[in-house]
Amino acid sequence: MIPLLLAHLIAALVCLVPGRRAARWALPLAALVTAVTFGWLAGQASSILAGDTPTFDAEWIPQLSLSISLRLDGFGLLMGLLVSGIGTLVLLYSISYFGRRDDLGRLAGLLIGFAGAMLGIVWSDGLLTLFVFWELTSVTSFLLIGFDDRNVTARAAASRAFLVTGAGGLAMLAGFIILTITGDTTTISGLVADPPTGTLTAVALVLVLVGAFTKSAQFPFHFWLPGAMAAPTPVSAYLHSATMVKAGLVVVARFAPAFATQGPWRLLVLGAGLASLMIGGVRAMRQQDAKLALAHGTVSQLGFLMVLLGLGTPATTYAGVAMLLAHALFKASLFLSVGVVDHEAGTRDMRRLKGLLRTLPVVAASVIVAAASMAAIPPTFGFVAKEKALDGLLDSGLGATGTIALVGIVLGSVLTVAYTVRIAVGLLGDDAPGVEGSTDPDGNVTAALTPVDPSSVHTPKPSFVGAPALLAVLSLLFGLFAGTVGNWLAEVTTSLDPATSEKYLKLWPGVNTALMVSTGIITAGVLLWWLTRVATRTTDARRSVATIAYDHIYDGLLEGARRITAATQSGSLPFYLAVVLSTVAVSMIVALGAGATDALTTPRWSNSALEFVAVMLTALLAVGVVFARKRFTAAVVLGGSGYLLAIVYLIQGAPDLAITQFLVETLTIVVFLLVLARLPAEFSPAPAWAPRVVRIAISAAVGVSVALFALSASQSRTAPSVGEQYVALSESEAGGLNVVNVILVDFRGFDTLGEITVLAVAGAGVVNLVRAARRQQRRKHLEDGGPAESEETLDTQRSSRQVGVWR
Amino acid sequence: MTTPHTNRRSVILTETVNGLTPILLLFSVFLTFRGHNAPGGGFAGGLVMGAAVILRYLASGPDGIRSLRIDPIVLIGAGLALAVAVGSVSLAVDGSFLESSIWKFELPLIGKVKFVSSSLFDIGVHVLVVGVVMAILVAFAEADDEVGGRR
Repeated sequence: MIPLLLAHLIAALVCLVPGRRAARWALPLAALVTAVTFGWLAGQASSILAGDTPTFDAEWIPQLSLSISLRLDGFGLLMGLLVSGIGTLVLLYSISYFGRRDDLGRLAGLLIGFAGAMLGIVWSDGLLTLFVFWELTSVTSFLLIGFDDRNVTARAAASRAFLVTGAGGLAMLAGFIILTITGDTTTISGLVADPPTGTLTAVALVLVLVGAFTKSAQFPFHFWLPGAMAAPTPVSAYLHSATMVKAGLVVVARFAPAFATQGPWRLLVLGAGLASLMIGGVRAMRQQDAKLALAHGTVSQLGFLMVLLGLGTPATTYAGVAMLLAHALFKASLFLSVGVVDHEAGTRDMRRLKGLLRTLPVVAASVIVAAASMAAIPPTFGFVAKEKALDGLLDSGLGATGTIALVGIVLGSVLTVAYTVRIAVGLLGDDAPGVEGSTDPDGNVTAALTPVDPSSVHTPKPSFVGAPALLAVLSLLFGLFAGTVGNWLAEVTTSLDPATSEKYLKLWPGVNTALMVSTGIITAGVLLWWLTRVATRTTDARRSVATIAYDHIYDGLLEGARRITAATQSGSLPFYLAVVLSTVAVSMIVALGAGATDALTTPRWSNSALEFVAVMLTALLAVGVVFARKRFTAAVVLGGSGYLLAIVYLIQGAPDLAITQFLVETLTIVVFLLVLARLPAEFSPAPAWAPRVVRIAISAAVGVSVALFALSASQSRTAPSVGEQYVALSESEAGGLNVVNVILVDFRGFDTLGEITVLAVAGAGVVNLVRAARRQQRRKHLEDGGPAESEETLDTQRSSRQVGVWR
Repeated sequence: MTTPHTNRRSVILTETVNGLTPILLLFSVFLTFRGHNAPGGGFAGGLVMGAAVILRYLASGPDGIRSLRIDPIVLIGAGLALAVAVGSVSLAVDGSFLESSIWKFELPLIGKVKFVSSSLFDIGVHVLVVGVVMAILVAFAEADDEVGGRR
């Protein structure tokens, strides 16, 4: 498992790093990696289905008993096959879809990186391992939605999706941490084997569900998914229908058998699932863009899956797994078909498309088969899975909960049939009403949308239509061989819930209640489509309530942050100083008041007369600074005080400190003077809020408290000094006689590293501020039409970077 | 207070600085290397070299620094990278960050040499400090440009 995950990571880097040079070979390379993964998984299939579960464990942070744990069980195998199989098809399809572009290295790198992270999710056993991979998919999803990074809409959709799924991920992390504590284990298998109970666990489960709902686009977090359609179609097919949005379901499926009966689990799963099922279905009816219609349909289908996998009874879990497989196949196929249509006909608007049945026969056939599977029409796999779902719900033994689930799912399925027929007919049918141009009362002109001329539709290459066709064929074959597939899935489901007794799927189970319900659903769905076929020609462009709520929260957060910043960051240096110094004084006075004063009873004032004189002179000069009227005088007097302090160090026998103090003081004075040369000679008047009294009070408080604190601290030692030890070890351990230096570069070297890092950041900050200011100045210069520098000279300057900042 | 503008440059100052610079540079390297056994060290050494650069700036103005053709960011980065590298290598070899390794060997003409790996760390500090001082001078050079008109 680890070599495969690493292969994904390396392939991602190999595709991403060379930039444009990777454009030609990146997609095939990525496809090779996923294909090898698929092959390896297929080779492992028989032993894993027989109950073998390869595991991997590596210590990560042993102090927190954290490890990287992976576990490849039956469900992990199924999901892994989906991720790598559909991944391979999507990558191969992308070669035709994108043609020649120079950013394909980035696309392939992100896709293969995503595939690796997704495999990590489905194979994770460790809770935190799962979380890390979970966030990785959020990040790659963000980058892929915003792949068209010059498009404002795409960028906004990307950050919305990221914020929603990222926030959910954090909630889930909190849930995982609580579960780690209550369950006393860090692995999912450990939790499921011995599930903890209690209020705290129930809270944790709610948090985990929030994470799962955000990722799987469940109500009320469903709104990011349609926006994510700003991504290129292959990305939407892969991430936002077949794999990533299943991550929430994966977690729910793994937890449900053990935790479904606890707390509000079933209530939440049922509420969110059914709400998504209905909302997605209704909104899918009102989209004209086939891809958007499919996206809303995905929300709806994910709701359906959430209910099945979340209820946690063996029968529904089994049906859920079957439905998960069916959905991945038909939805990816439909997305990819829409991509071909978009590519060849130039539009995805269902009002403009007609005659594709003749011009794109293979695509049309794929759409028909995949749509049949989505609408659960025999003999497709979607039908088989839906039958099993209805069967499981009819006999769930959950009482009222089961009945509500059943009724909700029947209603949702009617909608599913209706929008499926609508999409299929819209794409393939000969009725293309187009839209007449109009002018609304505000004077906004809407351009007319004319039907696409079928003769202008290009014929796609066989390799282009291969992926959607293959997925459609599988949707059909799995239905025809439902018995065999059913046996495999039984083994898969056992890994989620050992109590699974269901052992078969049947294409034709005979006339039973489920079949009658199915017939009713299909009839009602077709009827619904027929009745609404004209009314749904107008788009439902309203933003959903959830989107509006999200926007309000988002804007509110930004506005709140802006106000807090404005209130606390006044930009006034005197104000900042006053706040910082007052805080220092107050905290020290509090500490002294809390009992650190004992040591002050016998202060030692001086070690020698020489030291006393030096200290007094230092203090005198410091006082002198306060009375200086000119900046220049103040700087020089302050420097004198600094030099005298260096002498104090020398007297104390600290030559290293003295040297450093001398040098720092010298450089500081020079820099001071360089700055002062640009400032008015005299100090500017103090701000009105800080009259002399206030300033003196603050200064005196700081001075007195720091002095008292230093006195007290130097006489309050309770533990033995580490200094002796350092001196003793200096030469033998670090080969140095100067213990001060040895402490800096060896014993406490990590501290020094931290300090020089701060220094480096400060230095880099100075340089970059200067560069930014100059860039701005240049731009302004150009905008003003300045004659000195043209765009051309700007470019030559940019290209001669070796001269760096000195240009 | 004279500002280092092109029109007010003192020949005496320039020549003094030209004479002092090699001595300062040598002294700064000396300070850094001697630090392990006697007062000194990378920080002090870096400051002395920084002082040399500042003197050059005072004597010859921004152009005196520009003609060095050194990007302070490169110095800062190189210093930090060296320090991290020394620490990481000893982390990998000895299992603890910045655990010193001591090498003793004979060099022809010079004689016995004892080299401690943490000296490399000190060199990193030295280079970084020089870079930071130069970064500050860059800011002044830019400001000079604004005051003295565009170059």
